[in-house]
Amino acid sequence: MGKLAIVLASGELEKIQAASTIASVASTLGNEVVVFATMDGLMAFRKDVVENRTWKTAGELGKGMLESGAPLFIDTLRQAKEVGNIKIYACGMIMDMLKMKLDDFVDIFDDVVGVSAFLGMVEDAQVLFI
Amino acid sequence: MDVESDRVIDARGSYCPGPLMELIKAIKEEDVGRVIEVWSSDESSAKDIPEWVKKAGHELIGVFKESDYWRIVVRKTK
Repeated sequence: MGKLAIVLASGELEKIQAASTIASVASTLGNEVVVFATMDGLMAFRKDVVENRTWKTAGELGKGMLESGAPLFIDTLRQAKEVGNIKIYACGMIMDMLKMKLDDFVDIFDDVVGVSAFLGMVEDAQVLFI
Repeated sequence: MDVESDRVIDARGSYCPGPLMELIKAIKEEDVGRVIEVWSSDESSAKDIPEWVKKAGHELIGVFKESDYWRIVVRKTK
């Protein structure tokens, strides 16, 4: 099959959840998947946000997901990394701008990359921007 | 249909894609020919897991509706 790249720019839980589900399942079906977390999408992976489950939500659905206590995108992506072909990258520009280190985020990223490196990785991929 | 499963994964209470991801992990760990069944209380998983199985090229032995959950039984074929 093909190569799928997802630019995760939204910090809204509903969008991240949907994107992560698609990315994770695709990665188990012979696709090469690349996720690039940037802007608010990167902030959703901050340790304090993940620990306290203080993600932004678009509305009632997202609040319900938080209240249900169900496993969310972090768990799904971790499972995908165990069994699928998925790489997750943090945006270097945001980290430089906010003086953040990879250590400020949960342990899920393969590397920190800039936009040029990301574009190089996804030349032959279908790209979804979320 | 009575097929003896080699491994049962109880994913009841989890939501899509939880049951699927657990099944995939088990398929990776088991040998070819083994039968794995996953229990899901989530109807969308009961419908979607067979799609994954077909795409991944394994054998779907069946989807069996129990009182308040589904048993999806799969044979690892490669």
